[in-house]
Amino acid sequence: MSSAIPEELRYTAEHEWVRVAEGGALRVGITQFAQDALGDIVYVDLPEAGSAVEAGASAGEVESTKSVSEIYAPVSGTVTARNEALAESPDLINSDPYGDGWLVEIEPADPAAYGELLDAAAYQKLIEQS
Amino acid sequence: MTDELLRSPLHDRHLALGAKFAPFGGWEMPLEYAGGGVLKEHAAVRESVGVFDVSHLGKATVTGPGAADFINRCLTNDLGRIAPGKAQYTLCCDETGGVVDDLIAYLHGPEHVFLIPNAANTTEVVRRLQAAAPEGVTIVNEHADYAVLAVQGPRSAELLAKLGLPTDHDYMSFEVAKLGSAELTVCRTGYTGEHGYELVVPSAQAGEVWDALFGTDIEVRAAGLAARDTLRTEMGYPLHGQDLSMEISPVQARAGWAVGWKKPEFWGREALVAEKAAPQRTLWGLLATDRGIPRAHMTVLRPGTDEAIGEVTSGTFSPTKKIGIALALISTASGLTEGDEVELDVRGRRSVAKIVKPPFVNPSVR
Repeated sequence: MSSAIPEELRYTAEHEWVRVAEGGALRVGITQFAQDALGDIVYVDLPEAGSAVEAGASAGEVESTKSVSEIYAPVSGTVTARNEALAESPDLINSDPYGDGWLVEIEPADPAAYGELLDAAAYQKLIEQS
Repeated sequence: MTDELLRSPLHDRHLALGAKFAPFGGWEMPLEYAGGGVLKEHAAVRESVGVFDVSHLGKATVTGPGAADFINRCLTNDLGRIAPGKAQYTLCCDETGGVVDDLIAYLHGPEHVFLIPNAANTTEVVRRLQAAAPEGVTIVNEHADYAVLAVQGPRSAELLAKLGLPTDHDYMSFEVAKLGSAELTVCRTGYTGEHGYELVVPSAQAGEVWDALFGTDIEVRAAGLAARDTLRTEMGYPLHGQDLSMEISPVQARAGWAVGWKKPEFWGREALVAEKAAPQRTLWGLLATDRGIPRAHMTVLRPGTDEAIGEVTSGTFSPTKKIGIALALISTASGLTEGDEVELDVRGRRSVAKIVKPPFVNPSVR
């Protein structure tokens, strides 16, 4: 299975990826490594648009048949969109974690927060050690 | 601890199939396979055929004059109800009625019984039997001597027939057969609710039998413990350590059908007979009415209140019904029963579930 880590994204130690979406919001998902560890995802619970989220605090959860995992907000800010397709097809997270399996978009409170996230090399190092 | 895990004789084959492993009962066993995953593996067993390596299961042989009578004085179910060539689900209880283990007993004859306990409990079951055995009855722990392959699903008979193995025997019966150099026991048993077989194979020939099962023109999917758990939960089959335990008696777990109540003697008889009159709690199924997925140890609440009336013992997402399902102990004093609604505390949110009698999916074992 491909474990290539997209160069253009930023990451967290909790295995989320972050990319700058159109309009400046940050799109968030979980990494290939995370979806593989979780196994088949069967249910996703995400905050509604307008919800405030805090960096490092819970911002939803994903459930596999066996267990539940929290999603942590990579940055503080306001949720501007969530991926409604996941309600019917949570398996998109497994099949396309960096694309159609995205979770939420967040308008960051501090635009500089993105730059403080892990880059691909740092994230690669982190999963090699885990 | 991790480096002390035991491995199946088929470990290399699982590695080759890209299995993800998990520790289970002291063994490192496949949880799911690359290209599969719990949902695909579950579906293969419900719709076609899947093969599980369950070599972690214990094996023990009881032999000697009066071996079957001895087992019948220890374990709960009545071996007198079955003939040689048949298998029986039974329980090893302690004197308080707590369940040391649930197991399958294969009755070869009055002087020969083969037992399949759970991996984690085999040593203890064997120890208890050895301590109680009369002169001449011998109990041998053969845990690593045999592999067990569960071939489960609507096409399981077709698959075994292609290999020349017997398939027409009744549910809960077994036949001895040959496949290549292997002499194996073909049991009409399983833990999935589907028509299926469990093959008990000497460890040295396990690879040969595994390869034969995957070498026909039938598409066979390797299935791991994750799918085994969702399949058994859909059937309401208890898992020892969760739904049956030293604290959860067969009376509470609704496993009284596996107790030979008329027998004069078995371990835990006095305590279980007393408890049968008025159990404090009973194992029920819970069917979610919303998107919440029940998980083991969640508290069951009376609707609209904070009154705890029970606890979830097993919970998962049902791949067949596409909704949360659970087994839960509900207190008798709550007065709640089949058809009533309860609430679950799902990490601070309330989820509503209905009390039902398992199975959640109709079995087709016969």
